[in-house]
Amino acid sequence: MEIVIDVILSVLGLYFGIGLLFGIYFFFKGAFKLDELIIESKWTVRLLLVPGAIGLWPILLLKIINKLRT
Amino acid sequence: MGVNYQPVLWNKNKKKYDKWIAISMFIYLISFIGITFFTNSQTSIETLVIRSFGTLALALLHIILVIGPLTRLNTRLLPLLYNRRHLGVSMFIAALVHGGFSIFQFHSLGNVNPIYALFTSNMEYDSLANFPFQVLGFLALIILFLMAATSHDFWLKNLSPKVWKRLHMMVYIAYALILLHVFLGAFQQQPSISSISILIIGFFIIATLHIITAIKESRIDKKKTSIIEEGWEYVCDLQEIPNDRAKIFVVSKERIAVFKYNNKLSAISNVCKHQGGPLGEGKVVDGCVTCPWHGYQYLPHNGQSPPPFTEKIATYRLKKIDNQIFVLPEALAEGTEVEPVTF
Repeated sequence: MEIVIDVILSVLGLYFGIGLLFGIYFFFKGAFKLDELIIESKWTVRLLLVPGAIGLWPILLLKIINKLRT
Repeated sequence: MGVNYQPVLWNKNKKKYDKWIAISMFIYLISFIGITFFTNSQTSIETLVIRSFGTLALALLHIILVIGPLTRLNTRLLPLLYNRRHLGVSMFIAALVHGGFSIFQFHSLGNVNPIYALFTSNMEYDSLANFPFQVLGFLALIILFLMAATSHDFWLKNLSPKVWKRLHMMVYIAYALILLHVFLGAFQQQPSISSISILIIGFFIIATLHIITAIKESRIDKKKTSIIEEGWEYVCDLQEIPNDRAKIFVVSKERIAVFKYNNKLSAISNVCKHQGGPLGEGKVVDGCVTCPWHGYQYLPHNGQSPPPFTEKIATYRLKKIDNQIFVLPEALAEGTEVEPVTF
């Protein structure tokens, strides 16, 4: 059981670690690439969105890549 | 619905509700701490913080879960729905304080990572009675975090309403985890008939309201329309629809709303682009169909939000023979203009 817990927590740690790095990118650049309404919005909006970006970074990364391709 | 985003969408009413939320939370915490001190003066400050914020989060979660069905049963309660998101974030903050203090109190004083300690301090995962209840609370907290973190309209637009709604429906998984967390915690630490009874009553109220609402909704879906010539379906008579209001029907397995306004009739999809709110339960305000949930607006004759907004919903063709209203079940492309039926 301890091995299972080790694996789960390592995956969770890695997920949120990458999420944290993505959150920083999202605040400075990613949010602008995803939604043009962000340009007209205050920086506090992007700050408020960072926790969500940390939690859902794989979805957002895919959306940004798809947007850049088109 | 906007041309840019605001950190928090406050207006006069929302500010008033938020003040009430803050005041109510404060009164609850003070009362809980006061009563606990009065009945058991040996309780430590840490325990008081954990229990007061934990029970506060649980109470708020119950309120949040009953708001949806209550507003479907009584539209006068709709203002509660407008502020539910703020209530949800407040509930998450209370749950975070509860979880944070619990991890600090019980798992941070050793030489092991507190999160690792949370998962390994009790390894009786194969026992029903002694199952590590704190793990359940932790998992619920992760769900609540994801919900609170994505409560801004930005997420609704960029995740798509469908994905956003699915994510936020996870509140029911969080609720189940929290019920087990509290139930097992109470059972393993201080078995108390009163706290378990309150939990059961809360669950019973939530389940009953959801069942009643589901029955009411299914009645709308079962309402039969009758097909006449060339695919047109009879839906109702003119006088059955109140002025500036709508009636909801199901045609081709889709809910549509037929609105009556300014001696005209128009039919649009019943589903708001914002959060899937029931447009047919809203009314026509300033010439626009206004969603009863969050006030998103659409022009009834073309299903388009008034400029500068860009939301669009499907429209339907109508015709009137004598006093009978007929609809062509095929949805037109979102935002398609349809000449209203006049009478």
